[in-house]
Amino acid sequence: METLLEWARGPIFRGALAFLILGLIRHAVLTCFEIARAVHRAGDKNIPYWALAKATLQWLFPVRKIKDRLLYSITTVSFHAAILITPIFLAGHIILVERSVGIRWWAIPNHLADLLTVIAIVTAIALVIERATARDTRALSRFGDYAIPLLVALPFASGFLVMHPAINPFPYTATLLTHVMSANLLFILIPLTKLSHCVLLPTTQVISEVAWHWPPRAGSEVAVLLGKENERI
Amino acid sequence: MSAMEVKTGKYSYYVEAKSQQIADRPRKFLEAFAAILDRSNYGLALEAYARLGSKCSRCASSCQLYMTTGDERDIPCRRSNLLLEVYRRYFTAAGQWRARLTGGFVLTDEYLDLMAEEYYRCTACRRCKMLCPLGIDHGLITHLARWLLAEVGIIPKALLVAVREQLEGVGNTSAIPVPALKDTCEFLEEEFRDIYGVDVKFPIDVEGAEYIFFPAVSDYLLEPDTLMGNAAVMHVTGGSWTIGTGNYDGINYGLFYSDRMMERIVYKMVAEARRLRAQKILVGECGHATRSAWFVPTFCGREGPQVVNFMQYTARALREGRIPLKGKVIEERVTYHDPCNIARSGRITEEPREILRAICTDFVEMFPNRTENLCCGGGGGTVSIDEIRAFRTGLMGKKKAEQIRATGAKIVVAPCANCKKQLREVCEDNGLADVQVVGLHDLLLKAIDFGVEKPAGENGS
Ligand code: SF4
Ligand code: SF4
Repeated sequence: METLLEWARGPIFRGALAFLILGLIRHAVLTCFEIARAVHRAGDKNIPYWALAKATLQWLFPVRKIKDRLLYSITTVSFHAAILITPIFLAGHIILVERSVGIRWWAIPNHLADLLTVIAIVTAIALVIERATARDTRALSRFGDYAIPLLVALPFASGFLVMHPAINPFPYTATLLTHVMSANLLFILIPLTKLSHCVLLPTTQVISEVAWHWPPRAGSEVAVLLGKENERI
Repeated sequence: MSAMEVKTGKYSYYVEAKSQQIADRPRKFLEAFAAILDRSNYGLALEAYARLGSKCSRCASSCQLYMTTGDERDIPCRRSNLLLEVYRRYFTAAGQWRARLTGGFVLTDEYLDLMAEEYYRCTACRRCKMLCPLGIDHGLITHLARWLLAEVGIIPKALLVAVREQLEGVGNTSAIPVPALKDTCEFLEEEFRDIYGVDVKFPIDVEGAEYIFFPAVSDYLLEPDTLMGNAAVMHVTGGSWTIGTGNYDGINYGLFYSDRMMERIVYKMVAEARRLRAQKILVGECGHATRSAWFVPTFCGREGPQVVNFMQYTARALREGRIPLKGKVIEERVTYHDPCNIARSGRITEEPREILRAICTDFVEMFPNRTENLCCGGGGGTVSIDEIRAFRTGLMGKKKAEQIRATGAKIVVAPCANCKKQLREVCEDNGLADVQVVGLHDLLLKAIDFGVEKPAGENGS
C-alpha cells in the first residue's frame, strides 16, 4: 500500500499533472489558432469584441444570471467556487508544492477549507439529484453527465477524511491513496471531457460569433466541391 | 420543372416530388457536410459545442416552443445534439475510433427524416443562446442543419419555389413583373395626391442615388401603407433614393435553408446597387431581409455597399428634426414587437421606440423585449409554410399571443413582413381578432405633417 501511495503521489501524479497542463494548453492554443484562422478567412472581419467580452464576463461571473432558475444557479455557482478555491488555496497543498518546487502562495484557513469542501460535496450530489429529477435535464443526460460531478466530488470527500482522521472509518493510507488517485484520474479526464470548459469557456462567445463570419464565396465554393455549380434550383 | 408536390407523411411540410427521388442521401449528406466544414467557419463552433455541451437545459426554459409544449424533443440542446452527433461520429478522431471499435451510431435515411422534422420546429430565433452559459448558438446549428438537409433535397416547397422565382424566374419571390411594379408605384403616388394632396415620388431606376431601396417585395402586394410611409419619409427629408427594376426584392430565403442560395441572392442585390451606382442599400421593414443584407461585407468585403435599415434612416432624420410631425396623433394603445433578426444582436432596438414615442400617446412595452424578445413564432421562414399554420400559431406563437394580450394594446407594430403575417395569424387563432398588426411607417405616415415641406434637393443623408 505504501509503495502504491508513493507511486501515486510521485510519478503518476507528475504524469497526470503534466497531461492536464499540456492538454489544457493544447486546447487553448489550438482554439485560439482556429479562431484566428476563421477571422483571417472571414469576409467580414468586423467582430464586436467588446460586446463579446461583456457576455463572456457575465458568464464567468454569473451574478446577474443567477435569477433565472434560482436553485440550480446557486448550486452550480457554489459548486464551481468551492472546487476551484479549495484545492488551489489549501494550506496542505501549498506546503507540498513549496517542498517540491519552492514556490508558495497565500492559503485559506483550514476551517474555511473544510466548509468549502463540504459545499463541494453537497453541491455535487445536489447537481446529480437536480439533473435526475428535473424532466428536461433528465431527457438530455447520459451516464457521463451523472458520473462526472460525482467523480469531481471524490477527491473532496476523501480529502476531507484525510484531514479529519478522527471521523475517518477507513484506513488512513487507503483514504489518502483514494484521494491522490481520484485527483490523478480527474487531471487526465479534464482535457478529454466536457470538463475542458475550464479553459475553453472564455472562448465560446467569440466562437459563436466568428462561426457566422464566413469566407466570401463560401457558398459558391461548396457548390463547386459538390459539382452543383450549374444545377437548376 | 414539375410543380408537383408530395406530402409524404414523413414531414409536416410539403416538399417537391423530385426531392423524393434522391438516392443515397446519408452519403450525400456527409459529402456536403465535409465540403461545408472545409469552406466555412462552422467547424469552429461545432468542435466547441460537440466537446463542451453541459446539458444543463437552461436553454429549454428560454424557448417559446418548449415553454408551450414542454415536450423533450423541443429542448434546444437536444435538437442541436442531433447534428452534433453526426459531427462527432464522422468528423472527429474520437468518433471515428469509437465507430471502428464499437460500431455505434450510423447516419441513416430515418435519421435524416428525423432531423428534417426537428430542424423545422425551431425558428432559429437564437433566444436560447442568451441563456446558455456556454453561448451555444442553436440558431446557428439549425441554420447549418437546414443547409445540409437542403443538399439532399429536403427543403420546404414554399421556400424553394420562392428562391427559384427570385434567382431563375421573374426575379423576385412574389413573381411581380416590372410593369406591375411600376403600376403599383404610380398607384401609390396617386394615392398620395388624392389623400394627402402631395406629390410624393417612388423614383425608379435613378442612377447615382444615395440609397437603393429593397423592401420585402411582398410589401408591394400586401403592405402599401408601409411603402407609403417609407416614401413619405424620403419625401419630407429630401432623401435621394431609387427603386431598381433589375432587382427590387429584399427577401432572402437563402438565410433559412442554404448559404449557397443566400450568397447568390446577396450578390444579386449588390449587383443592382452597382448597376445604378447607388451608395447604400436601404432595406425596408423586414427583419430577415435586413439580417441577410448585413452579410454584404461577408460576401463582398469592404468594397460592398453600406446597409441601412429604414428605421435607422427614419430615426436619425427624426432626431435631426427633419421629419415634421403633426404631434402624437396615435391615441390607441400601441405595443412593439422586436423582430428577432434585427433585435437579438442588439443592432436595432431603440430606433423604432424613438419613432413610436414621438407619435403615440400610449406606447407600452411587451415583456420580455429587445434582445430578449420572444420570436413571433414564424421565424426561420416557417411563416411561409402555410401547411404548418396550426403549429405556428398554436404552439410556436402561443406565448407571443399571451405577451400581446398582457399589454392590452390593440395595435401591434411589427416592422417585418414575416412577423406581420405570422402575428396576424397568431392573433386570429388565439382570440385576439380585434388586435391590428401594422408596420411602423404605416403609423408614422399618419403623423407626418406634409404642410411644412423642406426645400427640394436638400440631401437627406
Ligand atoms: S443551456 Fe447550453 S449547455 Fe445548457 S443544455 Fe442548453 S445548450 Fe446545453
Ligand atoms: S426556436 Fe428560438 S429559442 Fe427555440 S430552440 Fe430555436 S432558436 Fe432556440
